[in-house]
Amino acid sequence: MCQSKNIYLPNLATIEAIVDETPDVRTFRLVFQDENVRENFSFRAGQFAEYSAFGAGESTFCIASAPTRKGYIECCFRSVGRVTEELRRLEVGDTIGVRGPYGNSFPIEDFYGKNLVFVAGGIALPPLRTVIWNCLDLRDKFGDITIVYGARSEADLVYKRELAEWQERSDVRLVKCVDPGGNGPGFDGKVGFVPSVLEEAAPSAENTIALVCGPPIMIKFTLPVLERLGFTDDAIYTTLENRMKCGVGKCGRCNVGNVYVCKDGPVFTAGQVKAMSQEF
Amino acid sequence: MPQIITEANLRSLIDSLVKESKLVVGPKEAGSMVLYQPLSNGADLKLGALPRRSSKELFFPICEDILTFGKEDGVTKVKDVDRASFPDAVLIGALPCDAGSPSILDAVFSWDYNDDFYLERRKKSTIVGIACTSCDDACFCTAVGYAPDSPAGSDLFLTPLKDGSYACNAVTEKGEKLVSAHGSLFKEGAAADAAPLAAPDTAKLDLAKIKEWLNTHFEDPLWQSIADVCLGCGACAFICPACHCFDINDEGTPDHGTRRKHWDACGFGKFTNHASGHNPRDIQNKRYRNRIMHKFKYYDDKFGKTLCTGCGRCIRACPVGIDIGDILNKINVQAG
Repeated sequence: MCQSKNIYLPNLATIEAIVDETPDVRTFRLVFQDENVRENFSFRAGQFAEYSAFGAGESTFCIASAPTRKGYIECCFRSVGRVTEELRRLEVGDTIGVRGPYGNSFPIEDFYGKNLVFVAGGIALPPLRTVIWNCLDLRDKFGDITIVYGARSEADLVYKRELAEWQERSDVRLVKCVDPGGNGPGFDGKVGFVPSVLEEAAPSAENTIALVCGPPIMIKFTLPVLERLGFTDDAIYTTLENRMKCGVGKCGRCNVGNVYVCKDGPVFTAGQVKAMSQEF
Repeated sequence: MPQIITEANLRSLIDSLVKESKLVVGPKEAGSMVLYQPLSNGADLKLGALPRRSSKELFFPICEDILTFGKEDGVTKVKDVDRASFPDAVLIGALPCDAGSPSILDAVFSWDYNDDFYLERRKKSTIVGIACTSCDDACFCTAVGYAPDSPAGSDLFLTPLKDGSYACNAVTEKGEKLVSAHGSLFKEGAAADAAPLAAPDTAKLDLAKIKEWLNTHFEDPLWQSIADVCLGCGACAFICPACHCFDINDEGTPDHGTRRKHWDACGFGKFTNHASGHNPRDIQNKRYRNRIMHKFKYYDDKFGKTLCTGCGRCIRACPVGIDIGDILNKINVQAG
């Protein structure tokens, strides 16, 4: 049978490890079952994939591991719907489907020689964590690296073991925070919302790129802070996280105006976002 | 000299194509309505009425399997769908507003990533369009650049003649092949006068001007005024020859199931709803705005085409009487 390519056909991957990041956020480490795919799958930081729980459907998440770490990929998801609830029922050794990688990516090479400021909120750290490790794995290519990360409460901070690792490193400045009331007695970070903690941390905008991911409300209040710190719109990168089905520019639901997040994004500069039809 | 086919021979052509094991689809009576359906013989063909749904479903079915999955001896396997055995098909008797839609939709299904479910069917299909001789108040093909005698999208185009036969114009190589393979049913000769064409009562719209207005009126009271009555039922999208939005869902269990692609509608509240509950198009006027913008701006921005053939089905189907022709006229006037 001479068969054309089916763009909707996922690769099969085995869940190699599971980490519970928070009570409802889980990381899967995935290894492709087909040797050829395992060896040749490549992606760039910022790209996303469609992950299948067979029988429930597909969900869209970023690839949360770094492209510099070969042999596996990781995804991170909160259990909130039919597919993610089903994914959560899976165990180490079970099979899921992965389609991708899709979308554009962070232009990491353009950041060589610059300082980086990462600003993330809640479960939006994964799309930046891929970039953070990508950059830390090529550490000498970048200047200062600052990470400002916050969540509602200590329990909601994801990648806790990695936050500890970044805190230990002398070549990373980590400022972690939780919303007022979200801190326990021994919390060693700041208490406050991400935008004000960022303003207080006041990273220099000179020769610096800011990468921002978070809920819409956090983005809304973070952009003016970055502006006050001197960041220009083309020095600020973010990702848009619209609902998707096909991931390949056909099904018609992820568009913001005439911009297809799945094809033209998910990575955009603040300047590009401001130029879009305001429908987020 | 044009090729002529009599009505009897047109029906014989269908008989022959069916005998050749081709999938022949054309307007056919289905209860109280006419639908584009597989024809089992020439007598099934029912010309002269606009079928209830468009013919896009021949290429982009309402619902189709895109893969199957299941467990064999406890191991998860995924199986592709056999697209190589999609049948050779002839769509016969498609009106210009339907025959024109695949050449619009080709763009979205083939940019960067090829959707071979759609494209394989397209490759294996020949479209025999027919000039339109009857219309109603909802028709507005002439307003958006089509016409009752527009051969756009047809491989072979039939023009009804006063004597009941049809003048045949082979538009593409596929159309020529269809004629040459059934040469005995066609005859060269002087055509009788053409039967009177349908004459939709609409003025031609300036689509470029409308797009210019849309470029600068993302926020406008017009959207609210339409959405005040829109029920978000999705009928306009499902019945449209050019709407292409779809959903992908699993049916079955992890042990045995099917992944299916099926029509969806941007008018539905859940269409863009995030898992978090956040919804970028959270109210109906944003959803209706997207419908108009997609058809007359976004698709043109991306692919240089308008996502509408003026068939008027959305106007006839709308339970609350939203008239896209009126909306376009309003924009056309506002655009000056």
